Amino acid sequence: MKNPSSDILTEKEIPATASATPLSGSEAVIRSLLEEGVDTIFGYPGGAIMPVYDALYHYQDQVNHILVRHEQGAAHAAQGYARITGKPGICLATSGPGATNLVTGITDAMMDSTPLVCITGQVFASLLGTDAFQEADVIGITAPVTKWSYQITDADEIPEVFAKAFYIANSGRPGPVLIDITKNAQVALMSKEFRYTKCKHIISYRPRLQPKQEQVELAARLINEAKKPYLFVGHGVLIAKAEEELKAFVEKTEIPAACTLLGLSAISSDHPQYVGMLGMHGNYSTNKLINEADLVIGLGMRFDDRVTGNVAAFATGAKVIHIDIDPSEINKIIPADAPVIGDAKAVLKALLPLVEKRERNDWLAEFKELDKEEYEKVIKEDLFPEGGQIKMGEVIHRLSEKTAGKAAIVADVGQHQMEAARYYRFKQTDGYITSGGSGTMGFALPAAFGAKVGSPEREVVAVIGDGCFQMTLQELGTIWQSELPVKIIILNNNYLGMVRQWQQLFFDRRYSFVELKNPDFITIAKGFGIDGMKITEREELDSALDTLISSKKAFLLEILVEKELNVFPMVPSGAPVSDIRLE
Amino acid sequence: MEKLYTICIFTENTLGLLNRISGIFTRRRINIESLSVSETERKGISRFTIVFKSDEREKVEKIVRQIRKIIEVLAVFGYEDPDLVFNELAFFKLDTKNAAGAKQLLEGYKRAKVLFEDEQILIIEKAGTEEEIYSFFKQLKPYGILEFVRSGRIALSRSEKGLAQYLPEAEWAYNI
Ligand SMILES: Cc1ncc(C[n+]2csc(CCOP(=O)(O)OP(=O)(O)O)c2C)c(N)n1
Repeated sequence: MKNPSSDILTEKEIPATASATPLSGSEAVIRSLLEEGVDTIFGYPGGAIMPVYDALYHYQDQVNHILVRHEQGAAHAAQGYARITGKPGICLATSGPGATNLVTGITDAMMDSTPLVCITGQVFASLLGTDAFQEADVIGITAPVTKWSYQITDADEIPEVFAKAFYIANSGRPGPVLIDITKNAQVALMSKEFRYTKCKHIISYRPRLQPKQEQVELAARLINEAKKPYLFVGHGVLIAKAEEELKAFVEKTEIPAACTLLGLSAISSDHPQYVGMLGMHGNYSTNKLINEADLVIGLGMRFDDRVTGNVAAFATGAKVIHIDIDPSEINKIIPADAPVIGDAKAVLKALLPLVEKRERNDWLAEFKELDKEEYEKVIKEDLFPEGGQIKMGEVIHRLSEKTAGKAAIVADVGQHQMEAARYYRFKQTDGYITSGGSGTMGFALPAAFGAKVGSPEREVVAVIGDGCFQMTLQELGTIWQSELPVKIIILNNNYLGMVRQWQQLFFDRRYSFVELKNPDFITIAKGFGIDGMKITEREELDSALDTLISSKKAFLLEILVEKELNVFPMVPSGAPVSDIRLE
Repeated sequence: MEKLYTICIFTENTLGLLNRISGIFTRRRINIESLSVSETERKGISRFTIVFKSDEREKVEKIVRQIRKIIEVLAVFGYEDPDLVFNELAFFKLDTKNAAGAKQLLEGYKRAKVLFEDEQILIIEKAGTEEEIYSFFKQLKPYGILEFVRSGRIALSRSEKGLAQYLPEAEWAYNI
C-alpha cells in the first residue's frame, strides 16, 4: 500500500444483512463471540479491523461494545471484567499500533493468569511480511506474553480457532490468547456453512483439574503431622471459585491463613483464621512467622519474589506443600516436599475428608501477639493519626467501613495499592483487583470500569495514585461516554510515592525525578463530564466519601495526602522475610 | 560442572512454535548448542531436538516443564548423553589440489567419505558424535578447510518405548 490514507478508502464492500449465508469472516467472528456467550467487547477501531466493526454494527443489540481511548485501556478493562466475572475479557483492536498498544495489558494478564481473548486485525495475507501499512508481527511480538496465539488467514478457520481460543484462555491456568485476523479473511465469505462447536479438548493440552489421590494423601499426612502449619492463599483460589472450600478447610484444620496480594478477599478479612497479607508490604506477623512454621502450604500461589524475599532464608524450618494447577510452578522457586497438581477447588475438596480436626489456638496466638506490635508501631498511626495531613491508610479504613467491606477495590500500583491492600477489610470475594505480577501503572482506571461493566450491581472503587492516574486518565472519556458509575479516588501525594520511598530508604533521600507537577484533576474530570471534588483536610473526609459513595454517576474524589508517607512494614528487597521492618 | 543435555520435543506442526520454544531459552539466557527439526513417524507431528549446556539438572527440568506448557507441545523429554544414541553429520570443503592427502586420511576413519569432487573442490562427509567430528576436523585442518558445516544433533533414546506408546493416549502431563 503506497498511500497510507488509502487504507480506509480501499475497504471492500461486505454484505450488509446479518442473516445472509454464507457468512463473511467478520460476521463469523461476531457469531463466534456470541456462541461463547460474549456480552461485552472493549475495543478501538482502525483500518485493518474495520470489516469486523462493520459486522458489529449489525449486532449492537446483542453485544455491548465499549469504545476505549487507548488500546491499553481495552486490555486492562477486559482484565477487570474477567477478574470480576470469571469469564474471558474480550479486546478488539486494529493492526500495527492498535495491536502493540495492547501488549502491556496482555503481559499483565499473562502474569496474573487472567483470561483474555484479544482479537487484532492484520493486513491482507498477500501483504504479510512486506512492511505494509500498519503491519506488525503481532504474533511474534506477543508470543512470550500469550498463553496461545493464532493468525487466521482464511475465513473458514474462524469458528474452530475461536472455539480453541476460548477454551485455552479460560481453562487450566487461565491466560491471554490472541487471534490475529488478516483483512482478507475478514472480508471473504466462508466457503462452508458457519457451524460452531465449543472446544472441550485439545490433544496437546490437558490441564489436570482433579489431583492424583496419592499426592492428596501425602499432603494430608503432612498437614495432620504438622504442629505449626501455615497456609498461603493465592489467586488460584479466586480463579477456581474455591472460597467455600477454603473456608471449610481452614475451619476444620484451624490453620492460620494469609493471602497474597492477588489472593486477598478469598477469605474474609474478619475470619478468625485469617492472619493478614503476605509479601513485601504485608503484615508483620505473616512474614515473621514464616520461619516459625513447620509446614507451609502454598495454595494457588507461585512464591513470587515479593512474597519470598530471599529464597534461601524462606520457610527454613518448614516442609512445603505446593498446590497449583500449573506443573511448571512446582519446584520453580521453592522445592516442594508434597506437590499437588490440580484445581484449587478440586484439591480442597479431596483434602477436606482426609485432614483431621484440630485446635491451634497457641499457634494462632503467636500471630495475634505480633499483630499488637504492628498495631502500635504502624497501624495506629496510619488509621488514627492525631494531626498532620490525611494519611492514605485512614482513607482506606473509612472507605472500608462505609462500604461495609463489600466494594470491589481496583487499585493501581504504588503506595496507595499497598495501603488499600492492607487496610480494606474484605468481606466479599473478588474484592481486590490490582496488577500484581506486572505492577502496571495505569491499570486501575480502565480495570475499574471493566469490573463495573462485569458486575454492575457491585460498588466499584478505583484507588489510584496521582502518578498512575496520569498514565491512563484519558479513559475518563470512556467512563463518561459509556455512563459507567465508577467511583474514583486519587490519593495525591505529589510524588511517585513508592519510588520516592525507596529513594528515601535505600538511596539516602536522593529524590531523583519523582516529584510531580500535577494538573487540576477536578477540572480534568469536569472536562470529561465527571463530577469531582478535592479535599485537603481530615474534617472533610467523611462527607467527601459519603458524596462519592452516594453518587449515582461516576465521581472523582481527589484527596491530598501526606507527602512523604511511607508504607510499613517492609521487607527490604532481597532480604529474608524475617527481616521485616516496622519503621 | 557444565554438561550437555538433549531435549526432544514433540509438537503439532504449527507456525510460530520455534519462536515460542526458543523464547524459553532466551529468557533464561541459555545458548542453544544445536537444533534440528524434523517430521516423525506420525502425521502432523514434528520433533525438535535441542542440545544445550547446563550446570544443573534441575534447571533442565524447569525448562522441560516450561516447554510442556506451550499449547501445541505434545510431549517433552530431557536426556543426558548416556540415555541416547545420537549423531551429527558434517561436510568439509577442500581445494582439490589437496585431495590426495585428505583421501588418505579418510581411510583411517569410519563413516567418512567423499561426497563430491571436481577439478576445483572436494567435499567430504563425516558422520559421528560432536567429539568425533571435532577430532576429524583437527586432522583435516592441515589440508586447508575452505568451508565447514555441521548438522544439529539427532538422537533417539535407548528406551524400548516408541513414540506410539507416549502419544496420544499416554499420560504426558507432569508426573511427580
Ligand atoms: C508503567 C510503570 N512505570 C513505572 C513503574 C515503577 N513505579 C512503581 S510505583 C511507582 C510510583 C507510583 O506513583 P503514584 O501513582 O503517585 O502512587 P504512590 O506510590 O504515590 O501511591 C512507579 C513509578 C511501574 N510500576 N509501572
